[in-house]
Amino acid sequence: MRHCALIVGVLCVATACATGDPDTTADREARSALLRVGEAWARPADSGATGGVYLTIRNADSVGVDLVGITTPFAVSAEVHESMNHDGMAHMMARPALAVPAQDSVVMQPGGLHVMLMELTRALAPGDSVPLTLVFSNGLMLPTTATVRVP
Amino acid sequence: MRGLHGPRRWSRVAAVLALSAWGCDVKSSMQGMAVDPPRPMPTFTFTLENGAAFRTAPAPGSPMVLFFGYTHCPDVCPTTLADWKRVAQRLGDRAERVRFIFVSVDPDRDTPAIAARYAQQFDARFVGVSGTPETTFQMMTAFGVAASKDSSTTGSGYLVSHSSQVFLVDPLGRLVALYPFNSGWETLAADLESLL
Repeated sequence: MRHCALIVGVLCVATACATGDPDTTADREARSALLRVGEAWARPADSGATGGVYLTIRNADSVGVDLVGITTPFAVSAEVHESMNHDGMAHMMARPALAVPAQDSVVMQPGGLHVMLMELTRALAPGDSVPLTLVFSNGLMLPTTATVRVP
Repeated sequence: MRGLHGPRRWSRVAAVLALSAWGCDVKSSMQGMAVDPPRPMPTFTFTLENGAAFRTAPAPGSPMVLFFGYTHCPDVCPTTLADWKRVAQRLGDRAERVRFIFVSVDPDRDTPAIAARYAQQFDARFVGVSGTPETTFQMMTAFGVAASKDSSTTGSGYLVSHSSQVFLVDPLGRLVALYPFNSGWETLAADLESLL
């Protein structure tokens, strides 16, 4: 996954150079430093089952950004969802573009925003580390690691 | 059933009356959303992975805590069962007398083995059951539980909207309280402590 992210990053930089995009590597590095992902944790789950991850995104930049994708080698796919409870019913809604406003944070927590890991390709046991890559609308791809724990 | 005669019969009646009065006292002190009057619930039978029958019948001294969900649920269901784990830890040895039951509302995907494994991931004492569609529907109807497949699908299947409250059934088989999602596990723990 790291290699994949690296290749995409190199391609982006190459494309920016070829097209004269003013968004330089230095700009990206600066932006990357302003966007932080942390406090990621995952619930234990069996291989083949559905997993859940919670994390926090902090955006210290002066412009907002959207979280538009998540990848992990530990599941067939991953999506950001939000649980909502109305009149005693639990609903879930996919959030394909999750806004992280300027100089604000998005906190995922049980009963609300979460990352749904579909068809886990391996079991998640307490203490395991789940590699994730968060893809943002400004092209940034930030890696993070979710620690599996019992809440 | 054999008939009861003489003093033994009345002692049994007195015991039932005492239990009823005790039930009323308990109801009035419920911290969850009390069901008033308590509603007797039918017994449902599920077949476990090993072929044994599991019945939701009343059992002296053994209240039931129930939740209706599905194992592909990544958030609300595991949050609820993780709360049950905290409740069981608070109760200590008394948790052995509580029947914590996770009922799948998605029998198409959840086999009895999958439902059982899911519940036991949280605590070996938790029971996960998945019945026939008919049993599932009848039990959901009795508890007033709704569930429906969402029109929006995920990358690998469908989501299910479902009732999210926890149900408490007393040892007499009566529904005595509901606990809306996120109402706090301490509330359920307190009510169980009053029942045990």
